[in-house]
Amino acid sequence: MKRTVPLMIVMVGGILMMVQYFIPHQYSQVILDNYVEWAPIVGAFALILGVGSLTRLHTHKIRRKAKNWQYSWAVLIPLFGMPFFALIVPQSLGGGSEVHGVHDFLFMHIQVPIQSTMFSLLAFYIASAAFRAFRAKSALATILLLAAVIVMLGQVPIGDVLGKWLPNTGLWILRYPNLAAKRAIMLGVGFGMLATNLKIIFGVERNWLGGAGK
Amino acid sequence: MRINWIGIPAALILLMIPSLSAAQDSVENLTPTDDTVSEVVTEDAAAEETETQPVAGEPLLETDPGLDIPGMITVQDKPNNAGNQLVVTFEPAVNPEGIHCYNVYRRVIGEESEDTWNLVKVIPADEPSEFIDGYDPEYPIEPGILYEYKIASVSLEDAEYFGPVYGATVAAEGEWFHTDKVRLLIAASLFILLIFYYFGRAQRGAKMYLRPIAGIEAIDEAIGRATEMGKPILYVPGISTISDVATIASLTILGRVARKIAEYQTRIIVPNYDPIVYTVAEEVVKQAYLEAGRPDSYDQDSVFFLTQSQFAYVAGVNGIMMRDRPATNFYLGMFYAESLILAETGSLSGAIQIAGTDAVTQLPFFITTCDYTLIGEELYAASAYLGHEPKQIGAVKGQDACKAIVMSLITLALVLGILDLVANTHTLDWLRNLVTVSIVE
Amino acid sequence: MSAVNIWEKMLNVDRRWIFLGIGIVSIVPFLIGFGMPITTTIEVEGIFDYVDELGPDDAIFIGFDFAPGTQAENMPMAVAVMRHAFHNRIPVFMTAYVPLGKGMAVAALDYVTNPKTDGYYERVLFEDWADYREAGITNKEELTAAWESDGNVLSEGAAGWVFEGRDYVLLGYLPLFHLVILGMTGSIETQFPVDYHNNPIGGMPILMEHKSLREVDLALTTSGSAACTAWITYAREKIGLPIAFGVTGVMATDYFPYIQSGQIVGQMGGLRGAAEYEVLLKENGITRTTGKAFRGMDVQSAAHIFIILLIIMGNIAFFAGGFHKKTRLKGRR
Repeated sequence: MKRTVPLMIVMVGGILMMVQYFIPHQYSQVILDNYVEWAPIVGAFALILGVGSLTRLHTHKIRRKAKNWQYSWAVLIPLFGMPFFALIVPQSLGGGSEVHGVHDFLFMHIQVPIQSTMFSLLAFYIASAAFRAFRAKSALATILLLAAVIVMLGQVPIGDVLGKWLPNTGLWILRYPNLAAKRAIMLGVGFGMLATNLKIIFGVERNWLGGAGK
Repeated sequence: MRINWIGIPAALILLMIPSLSAAQDSVENLTPTDDTVSEVVTEDAAAEETETQPVAGEPLLETDPGLDIPGMITVQDKPNNAGNQLVVTFEPAVNPEGIHCYNVYRRVIGEESEDTWNLVKVIPADEPSEFIDGYDPEYPIEPGILYEYKIASVSLEDAEYFGPVYGATVAAEGEWFHTDKVRLLIAASLFILLIFYYFGRAQRGAKMYLRPIAGIEAIDEAIGRATEMGKPILYVPGISTISDVATIASLTILGRVARKIAEYQTRIIVPNYDPIVYTVAEEVVKQAYLEAGRPDSYDQDSVFFLTQSQFAYVAGVNGIMMRDRPATNFYLGMFYAESLILAETGSLSGAIQIAGTDAVTQLPFFITTCDYTLIGEELYAASAYLGHEPKQIGAVKGQDACKAIVMSLITLALVLGILDLVANTHTLDWLRNLVTVSIVE
Repeated sequence: MSAVNIWEKMLNVDRRWIFLGIGIVSIVPFLIGFGMPITTTIEVEGIFDYVDELGPDDAIFIGFDFAPGTQAENMPMAVAVMRHAFHNRIPVFMTAYVPLGKGMAVAALDYVTNPKTDGYYERVLFEDWADYREAGITNKEELTAAWESDGNVLSEGAAGWVFEGRDYVLLGYLPLFHLVILGMTGSIETQFPVDYHNNPIGGMPILMEHKSLREVDLALTTSGSAACTAWITYAREKIGLPIAFGVTGVMATDYFPYIQSGQIVGQMGGLRGAAEYEVLLKENGITRTTGKAFRGMDVQSAAHIFIILLIIMGNIAFFAGGFHKKTRLKGRR
């Protein structure tokens, strides 16, 4: 029963939405409209559960004085501090999410720089990964390496300075060989999606319901 | 306490049923009750297109001799919609001099008051005199209702000069099949049937070969390694939503991985980016522990929601890697620009890493920094590999058959393209028209 | 020390040296600024030309579909198109696919309307021009004339006025935004009854003239994740809304198929794409100077050269050390 009911819901819902796609009639539209209206509400409830889970995890850590429990404060304080300033503190005291409020200050001067720093790590890691991975071990690897160098130079102004052929060849690589490879993988992925969806709708794949299931 | 989260979608579907019947009622209520009007609809319903007729008794407004008025209005039901659109065409003024735009007014036939006219469209004088009515959310078209139209020539000074009122003899009706999607239906049916055919073959015991994928075979080894080292296993289910098939594929693998982990009595850490994915992942892991016969070993803090911010999530996961030092990291699902930061940090922490994604641009990063990478559809097939269930293997074979059809079409296109070049024919256009589907409403 | 050991050492170099090198090549060009010329590509010109042909009767959406993490790349794209739209008096709707994108939209608007920005636009808040609205003055030209005739003077250096609710509206973020896009194909107001500042959008001229996505002429989605494809799936394929992409450099190659298939009018890929748009703005007299992306291209040039040097060094060490003869290199180096 625990599995049959969800499987039935998935099967009915999946087939319904599949058929709905081909039926433009107003009755069919009502189903879609209802889904569009309801799904964000369900999503919002899930967010509450998510925040609850994060809070529970870190309160447990603090209570148990688990390893690195001090960091849990660094999660919990901003987690509740930001909405506190945005929603509870009156605007006269620097509350609200408007510009020049405490929330805006924290967002612009802590959250934005921290997250930008995380993204900028990519430049460092790409350099390190390129140094370790790009080897002309075989003919194919050499072609890959040359293509990478041409695209990298073609993407920056210095490529234009070194020669017009560099950006042009770089763009050619992006527009044709890259596109062909991308399309091939997309096709495989597309059919993979189709098969996975069918497996789920018709109950062949049940692992998403929990466990490895047989 | 166990909570059955699946109750939420169940309630959703239950709630849909009454709303569907409510919609049916509302449409019935909107059908005109006036016998004469109904008759007009019945008589003309068969005709796809019909000219509107000037409504008797409606006086023609006086016009400024200097500004010409538009002529006859034609109304057609727009096909392939929910009965909420009409195609309105009018004859523009013969003498366009001084006309800035046309104001199109509509009301339900039978309404008498002048207040009931709604301005539904303003058409600049130089634009085509045909438009689709019903797009304005403020004045929707209701199915089965007959409307009348009047159009005014508007001067630069905003003075309106009305043409005659025309009553439509055709009402908007919803269709039960979108005729522009026939080719799509045929293709979808063909592919679905192929997959089902292979489901069936596999079920009947046909031997099917699946080429070995190193990444999948390494999963057991990776779990074993973490167990030996007494370190946890980190499982990252990607940073996409539950509507992404890669996420679903990841959760199916999580079920199998979690079961093994439960059997080996190792710790699993599953940080989540999306709250809905979190609720499903939690249930998946909990159920895996139950099936492995170790429900008591399940730690409710092992699966948790982290944040829905891309790089804050990366920071959180990297923090876990550096503090808890998991022996094995799984990155399975959909990844974006953060993939390399995750995998490189994992590599720095010395973990064995198995990645899998259908995000093509992230594959090079995973291939560079991880020990094993599942490429594209291999991620979807992983569940079949791990389970060895006939139907699952059949699905993989079905996929291959679908790909074979597309590959044949691509080869045919190549041949036709060359033929066109050599013989100066247009055969490729024929093939392109055959497979191109325009589904824009 | 044997020669082999030097090569091995070189291959096993502590990656923190590489990080230090990247740090230096990132900071130095930023301080010096070479200002190397940038040629534009058809992918970016496609967006520019499309926006350039639009006017006050049209409208565009700018989707701030990124979190602060990728703002270095995504923000200049959104800012460039916003400035282009304000210059051509094209009304702009601003939305966010992710919660933090709302903050990014606010930051972009603040930047474009900040007196410190060269060629900034002076912002008039929705409540500040309520009297004019009540008097029925909603046309941009009439509104500007009436506003200035009442003693409001455009500051020196400002490129023009932008009226909230007339020239732009900041709608903000809603959960499951892909469904919000779907909903907006029918009506924008049903999805966003109020804007970011809680002003009812039903009374805004921008909305009265563009009630649904069907009455919008372009949606630019700036993103570091899957948000951009949602605009294709739910707006382009459903109602034919023209879409333009502004994506991070890491993801740019992913979306070339959409350009070739004609599903998008163009794409700005990474900082380079944003810099190209800035160059086009300057060349066409829309802005006097290029912006942050153009400046960042010097850094990118230096970083790319550094990475290429690293690859060359790695290969020299690999072959000179004879590692290519071994079946497997130790570790992942």
